[in-house]
Amino acid sequence: MDWINLILIPAIKSVVLVVVLLTGFAYLTWFERKLIGRFQQRIGPNRAWKFGLGHPIADALKMIFKEEIVPSYTDKVLFVLGPALAIAPALLIFAVIPVGPTLNLFGKEIPLVVADVNIGVLWVLAVAGLGTYGIVLGGWASNNKYSLLGALRTSSQMLSYELPMGILLIAVLLVYGTLNLNQIVTPLTPIPWYLRVWILLAFPFYFITMLAETGRKPFDFPETENELVAGFQTEYGSIKFALYYMTEYLHILGASGLAVTLFFGGWRGPFVDQFPILGLFYFAAKVLAMVFLFIWASASVPRPRYDQLLRFCWTFLFPISLVYMAVTAVLVVVM
Amino acid sequence: MTEAYLPILVMMVVAGGFAAIALGVSALLGPRRPNPAKDTPYESGIVPLGDARRRFPVQFYVIAVLFILFDVEVILMYPWAVAARQLGLFGLIEMAIFVVILLVGFIYAWKNDAFKWQ
Amino acid sequence: MAQTNPIIEKLRARFGNAIQAVDEFRGETTFTLAPKDVVPVAGFLRDDPELHFDHLEDVTSVDRSRYPGLENAPRFAVVYQFISTRSGERIRLKAPVPGDNPVVPTITGLWPGANWPEREIYDLMGIKFEGHPDLRRILLPHNWPNHPLRKEMPRGGEPVPFSMTWEDEEFRSFGTQIIEPKAVQTVPPKQADTNRHMILNMGPQHPSTHGVLRVIVELDGERVVAAYPDIGYLHSGFEKQAESIRYKDFIIYTDRSDYVSSMCTNLGYSLAVEKLMGVEIPPRAQVIRVIMAELQRLASHLLWLGTSVMDAAGVSHALLMYCFREREQILDILELVSGARLTTSYIRPGGLWHDVPPSFVERVQDVLRTFPKRIAEYERMVTDNPVWKRRTMGIGKLTQAQAQAMCCTGPMLRATGLALDYRKLRPYSGYENYDFKVPTATEGDLYARYLCRVEEMKQSLRIIDQALKNLPDGPVWTADRKMALPPRQELDTSMEAVIHHFKLNTEGFTPPKGEIFDCVENPRGQMGFYIVSDGTAHPYRLHMRTPSFVNLQSTDLMARGGFIADLVLVIGSIDIVLGDVDR
Repeated sequence: MDWINLILIPAIKSVVLVVVLLTGFAYLTWFERKLIGRFQQRIGPNRAWKFGLGHPIADALKMIFKEEIVPSYTDKVLFVLGPALAIAPALLIFAVIPVGPTLNLFGKEIPLVVADVNIGVLWVLAVAGLGTYGIVLGGWASNNKYSLLGALRTSSQMLSYELPMGILLIAVLLVYGTLNLNQIVTPLTPIPWYLRVWILLAFPFYFITMLAETGRKPFDFPETENELVAGFQTEYGSIKFALYYMTEYLHILGASGLAVTLFFGGWRGPFVDQFPILGLFYFAAKVLAMVFLFIWASASVPRPRYDQLLRFCWTFLFPISLVYMAVTAVLVVVM
Repeated sequence: MTEAYLPILVMMVVAGGFAAIALGVSALLGPRRPNPAKDTPYESGIVPLGDARRRFPVQFYVIAVLFILFDVEVILMYPWAVAARQLGLFGLIEMAIFVVILLVGFIYAWKNDAFKWQ
Repeated sequence: MAQTNPIIEKLRARFGNAIQAVDEFRGETTFTLAPKDVVPVAGFLRDDPELHFDHLEDVTSVDRSRYPGLENAPRFAVVYQFISTRSGERIRLKAPVPGDNPVVPTITGLWPGANWPEREIYDLMGIKFEGHPDLRRILLPHNWPNHPLRKEMPRGGEPVPFSMTWEDEEFRSFGTQIIEPKAVQTVPPKQADTNRHMILNMGPQHPSTHGVLRVIVELDGERVVAAYPDIGYLHSGFEKQAESIRYKDFIIYTDRSDYVSSMCTNLGYSLAVEKLMGVEIPPRAQVIRVIMAELQRLASHLLWLGTSVMDAAGVSHALLMYCFREREQILDILELVSGARLTTSYIRPGGLWHDVPPSFVERVQDVLRTFPKRIAEYERMVTDNPVWKRRTMGIGKLTQAQAQAMCCTGPMLRATGLALDYRKLRPYSGYENYDFKVPTATEGDLYARYLCRVEEMKQSLRIIDQALKNLPDGPVWTADRKMALPPRQELDTSMEAVIHHFKLNTEGFTPPKGEIFDCVENPRGQMGFYIVSDGTAHPYRLHMRTPSFVNLQSTDLMARGGFIADLVLVIGSIDIVLGDVDR
């Protein structure tokens, strides 16, 4: 193996992916503001450029040029480390998610995934879980009561919802028989149709765990502006706040990407075999549809109370996902 | 086999680099105008009473312990899930026994109001 | 004449010599008692099954040192207003207190809801209440040097005891002084346990305290151990201001106290002044007043609905803007008639500022057409939403006995099952001519309050519909020359009319000597005005009994033992407006 294949191409792919993700994040905020505006009978951002498309750029510039405050009462090292620890894993989620089929560029076969590893699903879970550290550390380091409560809530919420999420994933993995996300999109042996339908049944529950794991409304307990002002990020400003903000949206993108891959066939769609580049667009469109669901939920459902959220997880989602997994196991093994 | 993970390492460097650059650029470009007001923790405009880092309720801890209890067991299921077809009925029954043991613990915790916020 | 009144007979028979005097003015009965007799008499009034004066409307005080004819009487008087929720009968007790070391026994033993009004008297007038559980300043900072409602205090120009510059050493300790937990005493005497519990400030700068309200929350993790509302951040001394401006000029202050239902407060003040003057209002003005008040009630409830759901759902929830869309329609009508959307000053003592413009009827009909659909839409979004139900059912409960003891009014009280609505109890502006229900619920929780308010919106629509159908023609200003300007043509012929015109415009109208208390039903509850007139064109004393202020003191009762998230909803369900609280 030469260094081009091992280092250069992954490096280029990583850089491209990071740039795409960051642009995606920026325009995701625009998409969300615009959509929420529509849900609320407003126009949404429309000042900078056409359709307000300049707003994300203006926001980014503002964040970079703002004064950076590291207050003296905080734990300074952790305070700065928090956002970095949150953003880096969030970027890494996408490393294993195939965003398209293998392309033929410059005479080289280039699979549209940074790392085609056989533990893809586990990687996503592990890395997404790491992001919690960034939030908890930041909240703790802030030495602010709102932040602390936000951080505590985050930890309990993330931990709790990881269980049903993991169990539902096991059910899905039972069907696919692999952890490699590439093979999940293009299975080596065809999946019978009844199993395909069956795993779709898990999606509503999985979507709830996604909402909770990404900390999105109506489950935005890390922030809960009505109770904790801004939760764990109350003390953050400038780019450090932006990094947390980015993390949240990257988690949405990552979770959507994973859900699309697991439940909706990833980049596959009509005519992909003839025009592989179409795969990219299908993937993007599916992720966008998923993101739309996130925003829709935030505009129409009130927030439950924190203890209700946890109780719902432990006494409803957890048992039901266990039952679901058991039935799946029987289906897979016996039939 | 391990070289499949090399791209992940590369991606880690890129992601970490991005975080470092972002923090660095902003630190360089942003103005600095210190002010005692900016140096007080935000508590709705009132100087807070006491430190924020204090004992917090045991409930959060209970959730964490329960999580560790169940999550470790759930992780054991991943290899089985991948190999379920090959392991067949034997694996299924084995896993069923495992889940039942897990459930006993779960029901015990439930009956002890572990999920009820005190 | 007053001797035939059965209440007086009964009180005389029971308390004999304790009653020093009985006065009647504009149909209101005032008993003057020694301070020590207030508590037994009030207890008797409340517990006697025939009298049943079960609602303490107001506690306030007057500094009589400059009142003509009372220079040698005891300087202060503490004034209590009681009403029977059964018969609508009202009675006033007055306890004169000497000027040096004024002390009055507290009435909080009978009505815990007298807590804040008594603190307000202590704060602004300097009368101490013996046995009060928590006698501290309430509106002003604890280190304020004087009691501003005393007559020797000038309006403005008094030294302010702190400065707000960063360089000032005092500023640094300012915040800590205020939140010193020892200064925060609870109603059952229990000090905040700062060792075991976290003391968290919610507000004054907090997204969900609906203004500059500060609630000091004692937290055990997520649980609220106790919540101590701290108010006064918006206090601007309306009552003191009133003493140096003419009656008709005070109307702008009524806009600014409850700034989301200014029409209703305008109406309350106008009715009080008209009662004091003893003038009649023409029927057209009365009907328009009802329409405006009900429109304002709709607008206010819409704002409440939107923000209350926002408290539970965050800003991205769509309902807030839906409500604002409809509220906009109403505000446009308010702007049409008065030129202002918020501070209308449209209903004035004597009638209305101007008649409504021709397109008014059509615009209101528009509202009547669109609203039932919209309200049904909100209900579909919220009423049966399981998450909303779980957030509100059984949370922030008040029993009827508690609500009455805390002197709650408005939807807060009606949600506990007691249909106390001044539009029914003591109809004003012709409310007796309209067919409408007073919605009640029995649970007394957040959900019950929600249901009450939504139903009230529907009832308001019914009232507006009936009023619009029977809108009579005619003038909108009283014909009574005590308040009305002489018509233009008379000025040419009559010298008397010119003098009258001049006097009314320069001096303002002058009511006779006397005191009155009058209430209207604001969207938030009972809005009362207590006005003492010394026969000049300025009020001698004007007190606003505002619903938010009185209702807010039950926060602790409702939030105790709940979660922080519940506290946010509880504050929202009281539907406070900080201008109304702090005045």
